[in-house]
Amino acid sequence: MVDMVSGEMNMNSKVSGVSAINRHKGSDLAARGEPMVWAMGGSLAFGLMMILGFLALIFWNGLTAFWPKPIEVVTMTDGRVIAGEPVRTESYKPTSADLASIPAEARAKIEANAGMSERTLYRIGNFDFYSNDFEWLPFFTVKSSAHPKDLMLVERSEWGVFIGKVESILVDGKTVSNPSLAQLDAADEQARDLRRQRQTIERDKVGAVNSAINAERLKVRKAELAYGEGSPEAKAAADAAAVETTRLTGDFDRLSAEALAMRAKEEAIRVKVAEIGGQEKDFPLANFVRYYAANDVSLFQKIGIYLSRWWEFLSTEPREANTEGGVWPAIFGTLVMTVVMSVLVAPFGVVGALYLREYAKQGTLVSLVRICVNNLAGVPSIVYGVFGLGFFAYVLGGSIDRTFFPEYLPNPTFGTGGLLWASLTLALLTVPVVIVSTEEALAAVPRSMREGSLACGASKWQTIKWIVLPRAMPGIMTGLILAMARGAGEVAPLMIVGVVKLAPQLPVDGVFPFIHLERSFMHLGFHIYDVGFQSRNSEAGRSMVFVTALVLLVLVLALNTVSINVRNRLKRKFAGDKF
Amino acid sequence: MATATALKDDAPIATGDGYDPTVYHPVESPGGVEISIRNFNLWYGQSQALHNVSMEVQKGMVTSLIGPSGCGKSTLLRSLNRMNDLIDHLRVQGDVRLSGEPLFGPQVDVIALRKRMGMVFQKPNPFPMSIAENVTYPLKVDGVTNKKLLAEACESALKGAALWEEVKNRLNDSALGLSGGQQQRLCIARAIAGNPEVLLMDEPCSALDPIATMRIEQLIEELKSTYTIVIVTHNMQQAARVSDNTAFMYLGRLIEYGATKEVFTNPHSKRTEEYVTGRFG
Repeated sequence: MVDMVSGEMNMNSKVSGVSAINRHKGSDLAARGEPMVWAMGGSLAFGLMMILGFLALIFWNGLTAFWPKPIEVVTMTDGRVIAGEPVRTESYKPTSADLASIPAEARAKIEANAGMSERTLYRIGNFDFYSNDFEWLPFFTVKSSAHPKDLMLVERSEWGVFIGKVESILVDGKTVSNPSLAQLDAADEQARDLRRQRQTIERDKVGAVNSAINAERLKVRKAELAYGEGSPEAKAAADAAAVETTRLTGDFDRLSAEALAMRAKEEAIRVKVAEIGGQEKDFPLANFVRYYAANDVSLFQKIGIYLSRWWEFLSTEPREANTEGGVWPAIFGTLVMTVVMSVLVAPFGVVGALYLREYAKQGTLVSLVRICVNNLAGVPSIVYGVFGLGFFAYVLGGSIDRTFFPEYLPNPTFGTGGLLWASLTLALLTVPVVIVSTEEALAAVPRSMREGSLACGASKWQTIKWIVLPRAMPGIMTGLILAMARGAGEVAPLMIVGVVKLAPQLPVDGVFPFIHLERSFMHLGFHIYDVGFQSRNSEAGRSMVFVTALVLLVLVLALNTVSINVRNRLKRKFAGDKF
Repeated sequence: MATATALKDDAPIATGDGYDPTVYHPVESPGGVEISIRNFNLWYGQSQALHNVSMEVQKGMVTSLIGPSGCGKSTLLRSLNRMNDLIDHLRVQGDVRLSGEPLFGPQVDVIALRKRMGMVFQKPNPFPMSIAENVTYPLKVDGVTNKKLLAEACESALKGAALWEEVKNRLNDSALGLSGGQQQRLCIARAIAGNPEVLLMDEPCSALDPIATMRIEQLIEELKSTYTIVIVTHNMQQAARVSDNTAFMYLGRLIEYGATKEVFTNPHSKRTEEYVTGRFG
């Protein structure tokens, strides 16, 4: 007893001694962790700034790309006159040859500024006249500039943008010189109407006849494959097809002639334009896509032009090697591919994780599988692309073709890159994400829930079906959302397994069986790469890159918002622990 | 004082390692024995959690298991409906029978066995479903889809658990919106909805406030005419109030099993006396 007491007293004195020293140390900055808090806060702020800066860049450039800019007419010191939209100004260092050719006064100014001067990039358009869309004009070569009101900016279906004046139009055989905007509008409306009619014939009717003729050819081929070449059945099929083909060819010729006549009518409406230097050109008015007097539009009209450009961008097909027109096929392709991928990856990932977590005997083998799954997430995506092409497209698709579509051969149906294979490849790429997050979600289901269910006499499967899975669903959804976001943004493997620069047909249309999983498709991510780095004029693609990036971001955001909403709804339903 | 009585026909029960044999003086039920446990041993991997436990749970009575933390009372309870099967590396030895049928063995249908025993857990664990769905879960497990039947079962179970009056107007609301005490009574309703023979309760009141605890205790009183109840509790007053027989366990051994009144007022074993008088534990 005595020992105990003295021991305790001893301890007490010791404690107070230690605390005295600690009290001194406690006020130390490092001990309180203040610098660490600052470091943590700082790195978070840095990360946020990077993200916000990136978003601001994309949004600003993307949102302003379609705003109509004024046209500036620049007279240069050498007498040349240039009209164009100023794009951006930057400072640069002129070469000594440039400097030698300018007046001494200007040269002295530049030399005083450490040899730096400024220059502005103008979008001068008129590729057919100048063989160039853009031109840099150094400040020291500019004599004067003006904003004349009669200059037009015309977006054309060929040759890109035109900047200049409309000299005359030819409608119904009559020439109207210096047409008013109203006259131009009326003529344009007429030309547009004719163009629409012709396109209906060319695209829909001629297209239908063409595919019917093709179907006849395939019937013959099918009969030949089934009964052997030269067999009576093949002969009968060939005869039937010949009759039908003759009829269809007649239709085809008639429709072609109709279209040709329409085209002649359409091209009879002509317009004569002159660029700022006076060179003239005469072409069908139907080439006009959009036109406006750039220096004579009200704010209201500008908004109208801006919105109509966005609408065109979101709803039409690309033109001019993707640098103009819209991205609708790419938006649609991205969306369909992401949805198909999610539909494929969800059951595989969830079922796989369910087996791994709930049924497989936890041991070396399962650990090994788990390590492999985790490592799969780290394989470069291009490797998946190569695998997808080699296995899915060539091996799987090839055998599907030989079995089900022999009459199409040697043209591949499924035996080449396409929507299905691209989706499967991406599903393979994202399945580790789904498995890992599903496993975590399953592990997070409270043991008490499982026990409660088992104690009621439920089997393991009933417990999983009714208790575990619903409860884990929000976590599983999180994994799917991550997988979807990753899949929607992936480009490298897609370039190999089915994404193309330009796909005229959408993967979903009104032709049986409506969803064409074998078709190649367009993708926004690849579109960015193509427009930005593969087009003839990277400057022209620049704004398109930003706008397309913006659309891709918004699309991914929209997909995520939808799935996060679904997840939150599930969460409220299944995990609303109010205890 | 510690007279080691035999388990009826058996020799005194050895508890091993220098421990005294179990002191055995339970009240016997006119209904006979519901669960008989003979020389039951249980290992978690290498460590032995239960040593030679032998006891008989009397039919239609409340049997409480008391003892300090880690004495094996929950393990014993969870062995009765094979809930311990979920644990890896678990090994058991001995003979446990429910109404004469063995609980362990390759021939035993664990699911059928669990349907004969309802279980109530330490923390209320209602499923994330509506109140009605929670109560009828055992019937859903059995494949009952008849709406009328389900509604009847739901009502009688909720009445049995003294919860009907409180929830009859919101049967389709989420069960997670109930208070802790209501949730626990809901879990009792769920346990009795499957019409079991035995109710196993694993510290059912440890997460509840005194008023909710009192209600559960009243409920146990009402239920014991219908079910054989085995209850694990940390609260000795509770054991004294609700049970007919009390088993005191210590370090995996059954020290004393006897009539509750005897165990608390006149314990036959010195260890029991020390525990119930609060000298340790």
